[in-house]
Amino acid sequence: MPARRLGAADADSVPRVETVRLTRPDLDRRRALNRTHGRLVFASSVFALLFLVAIGRLSWVTVIAPRIPAPGDRPTTAFFTAPEPRDPELVAVPLAVPRGPRAMITDRNNEILAISLPTAALYANPRELVDPEDAARRLKAVLPRLDEAQVRARLSEPEKRFVYLARQITPREKLNINTLGIPGIYFENTERRRYPMGRAAAQVLGGVDVDGHGVAGIERFFDRRLAEDSTPIVLSLDVRIQAVVRDELIKAMESFRAIGGCGIVMDVRTGEIIAMVSLPDYDANHVGHATNEERFNRAVTGMYEPGSTFKLQTAAMALDYGTVQLWNEFNASQPIKIGRFTISDFEGKKRWLYFPEVLAYSSNIGAAHVAQTVGAERQRAWMRNMGMLNRISVEVPEAGLPIVQTAQAWKEIVTLTVAFGHGISVSPLHVARGTAAIANNGVRVRPTLLAMVPDMIPPDAERVMQQATSDTMRKLMRLVVTDGFGKTSEVPGYYPGGKTGTAEKTGRGGYQKKANVAAFTSVFPMHAPRYAVYMMLDEPKANASTYGYATAGWVIAPAAGRTIARIGPMLDMLPELTNAAKINASLAMPLQPTRPPNGVRSPPVAAVPPAAVKPGRTPPAVAARPAAPRPSPAMPAHTPRATPPTGAPATRDLRHEASQPPSTALLAAQYTAPSLVPAPNPNR
Amino acid sequence: MRERGLYGTTSFGLISKLWSINWIFVLLLCTLAGIGYAALYSAAGGAAEPYAARHGLRFGFALILMLTIALIDIRIIARFSWVFYAVAIGLLAAVLRFGHVGKGAQRWIELGGLQLQPSELTKIALVMALAHWFHRASWERIGNPFFLILPAIAVAIPVALLLKQPNLGMALVTTLVGGAVFFAAGVRWWKFLLIITPIPMAVQYAYEYLHGYQRARIDSFLNPESDPLGSGYNIIQSKIALGSGGMWGKGFLQGTQGHLNFLPEKQTDFIFTMLGEEFGFVGSVLLLTLLGAIILGGMVMALRCRHQYGRLVALGISVNFSLYVFVNIAMVMGAIPVGGLPLPLVSHGGSAMLSIMIGFGILMSAYVHRDVEFSDGRNDS
Repeated sequence: MPARRLGAADADSVPRVETVRLTRPDLDRRRALNRTHGRLVFASSVFALLFLVAIGRLSWVTVIAPRIPAPGDRPTTAFFTAPEPRDPELVAVPLAVPRGPRAMITDRNNEILAISLPTAALYANPRELVDPEDAARRLKAVLPRLDEAQVRARLSEPEKRFVYLARQITPREKLNINTLGIPGIYFENTERRRYPMGRAAAQVLGGVDVDGHGVAGIERFFDRRLAEDSTPIVLSLDVRIQAVVRDELIKAMESFRAIGGCGIVMDVRTGEIIAMVSLPDYDANHVGHATNEERFNRAVTGMYEPGSTFKLQTAAMALDYGTVQLWNEFNASQPIKIGRFTISDFEGKKRWLYFPEVLAYSSNIGAAHVAQTVGAERQRAWMRNMGMLNRISVEVPEAGLPIVQTAQAWKEIVTLTVAFGHGISVSPLHVARGTAAIANNGVRVRPTLLAMVPDMIPPDAERVMQQATSDTMRKLMRLVVTDGFGKTSEVPGYYPGGKTGTAEKTGRGGYQKKANVAAFTSVFPMHAPRYAVYMMLDEPKANASTYGYATAGWVIAPAAGRTIARIGPMLDMLPELTNAAKINASLAMPLQPTRPPNGVRSPPVAAVPPAAVKPGRTPPAVAARPAAPRPSPAMPAHTPRATPPTGAPATRDLRHEASQPPSTALLAAQYTAPSLVPAPNPNR
Repeated sequence: MRERGLYGTTSFGLISKLWSINWIFVLLLCTLAGIGYAALYSAAGGAAEPYAARHGLRFGFALILMLTIALIDIRIIARFSWVFYAVAIGLLAAVLRFGHVGKGAQRWIELGGLQLQPSELTKIALVMALAHWFHRASWERIGNPFFLILPAIAVAIPVALLLKQPNLGMALVTTLVGGAVFFAAGVRWWKFLLIITPIPMAVQYAYEYLHGYQRARIDSFLNPESDPLGSGYNIIQSKIALGSGGMWGKGFLQGTQGHLNFLPEKQTDFIFTMLGEEFGFVGSVLLLTLLGAIILGGMVMALRCRHQYGRLVALGISVNFSLYVFVNIAMVMGAIPVGGLPLPLVSHGGSAMLSIMIGFGILMSAYVHRDVEFSDGRNDS
């Protein structure tokens, strides 16, 4: 019951003059109160107006003209930390987050490949729990992914004060759990590693365990760096290229029912790996569920016999050592028998082959003969120089060690088989790097998964062969695509060049006839090499479209061609068709080159036993050949010691004079230029 | 009844006092605090810790405190007005001497483990002191400029101390609250004009003395796009968040700007933005309406008071609350430079809530005791 008004008459009273006692102070007070009243009403109006203004402004910013985020508004670094105030006094305020988030991983175009988002983990203090049974049941009801029995068991451990129940709780789940009101249930603020691209580059990125530590790939290799420094790691990968390579590989895998595949795209000039795919793969967000097979990064960990793709190495080696000339012929009419092994050709021409034909038709016998001219010691030195004997120092911990013979065991039979890529196992990245070095003017670069600053001079670049060797090899690689087994990879306007390789997989008791590894290693465009593209299928099965063949030329070279056609434009290269005639002419290489005109000195390879190499033949009548097979080389006679002495410079100079007389001076200058690293020399 | 009618009451029973509390107003306050709880729950990514639980606890305590104050006779409260004022000024001075430095200014002190920001209490104490002064003022004395000197000094002391911290926003708000009491007491218009006119020049002068970050705030307000990653970042992100809420919002706990930490200080200064993103235009208008109802309720209660002290105190406290509201909302919508004022009863923060609720307790006391006979020190009998 409020107090009655002072001075007011009772309801039942008759008004009398005496009850109304108005004094001057009373009047004063009334005037003051009235004035205050007016002012109060005024103030209220002002606030009502302010209210309307606020509503108006609100409708403006929310409905009428909402601000759309502009690209500059959201720097990637602002994801987790509000921008640092410029004022040093403000910096002194401690941040609310005790530990910095794990750094992002992005591709070369700053597309996010891995990012940490804040999340919560659910844990309990069993001592504070009243009824573990009931708590487990209710938690299960709102969080169906829980294992109720397991939760009950964990909650029923009264001696413990801390048990994890679930991780990666979403805000909505958190709300639901809080609504339950179970005492003793808490949340821990954690972060969750997300891989927005999912399966793309899964093996390269690796993944993190429940504690946020890298378990494989980049995440493991840079685990501490990612945890301590929150600036993003920018990879050399381009996720668009990665997607294309993966797509083409998957299609090829499905067509030929292969058990796996691998693809690499590498910048031949910088060594930056633009794409690295290994199939089958996994979703990097769920690395814990991935099988070992899926986690296996074939590109760096898988050691495969490179097969015929190694013939590029053999050819480059022989050309660089000067033991072979383009117009030399090799007897591929009969298998080579050495010890208990027989080296034969797959669908061979059964005749003498010119050097370019050895590559184009992928003759094992021819390659073996070519390697023979070089010898075991120099061959091993070449392989060491090309990095085929060592682990590649790429930025993933999975990089594996090639399986090779020791120097003592590197006997003639090894020389002959390594010539066509058997008896040695290297990773696909080894092959891609070797191919890239051949195409990249003979300079080998270090493959890297980290993006380089544009125009940066690649570190660890080393000249491993002469410029002239690379020039010739580029023509030969192109020849394989235009006239050889690699025809299926041709892409008009991109001038790819490469080499197919089909290797039988080794199994118990020797090679398996039915299980192949089919690979195609290539570089494009051949007139100005930019990117190496390596693609491989593990155990492809032939189908009707390949006429029963499961060889590389049929199963993987077409996929490589399609890949080049698709990624070319993404790499800022449009098909070069206007100058096609000129480019083709510059890359032209006859299958059966003629010996240079008279007056040129006979090349030193003449010293090689004539049974294997037939120097200086005039243009042949190939068709007539099978009728009169040449005598098969007596293998024991062709020991490496029988090849010309390793007086390399003289040999090389002779070769240049012989093969390319007009440019001798230039080439010699290039070769002897002090800035260039000398070509491989076994005596080094 | 006749006796009481004639001579008024010194006080009246506890039950009837409880009965005369404006419970609708209390309900409005509880609703607002409830919204604050939900907002803080969302700000923590869907968890009661670390904000919402403490918020609820504090509000419960503050509510009891408010109701207790409401039952104390307003005349007793009035008697201690200047004591409160002296204590508040003392605390404010103590902050400068012993206070903790935060965000480039000394703002709070610790009292028994409690962080106290005396600037919040100062405004309430100032309102009480000014109301006490003008309560005794007759019509003629209001018109006498010398009568205004002492209250002007009473305003100037805390403002000077706040500027010294330096806390520009709070100093400005304190000045406005004091001015509102002056205004309601009936000080003439022209005197206000006399005070207001030289302000632009003073601002020009003061700008030179501003902290770098304060200057940056003003600069970035004038053109937020000029420095989107620096001081303009807050405003831009806030506007983006509000805009992304649209008409109906993204739904509770679904605000991406807030939860992905784009929004700075979302548990304190920018809580309105977060609500705006999650509940959209409609939700924001409802919240504004609630706040408006509280402000209007305070004004109406001020009008119902039949003594000058109650009116002025109630008005001052309402104005204080509404300044919080409008400064905060104008800030997050990018209408004024970022000021660092919380949204009362919604934002996370103990001092502001405590002082707001103490203020509302006094307001409520004035309302409960709106009809008591209150000697105003003028010889009237």
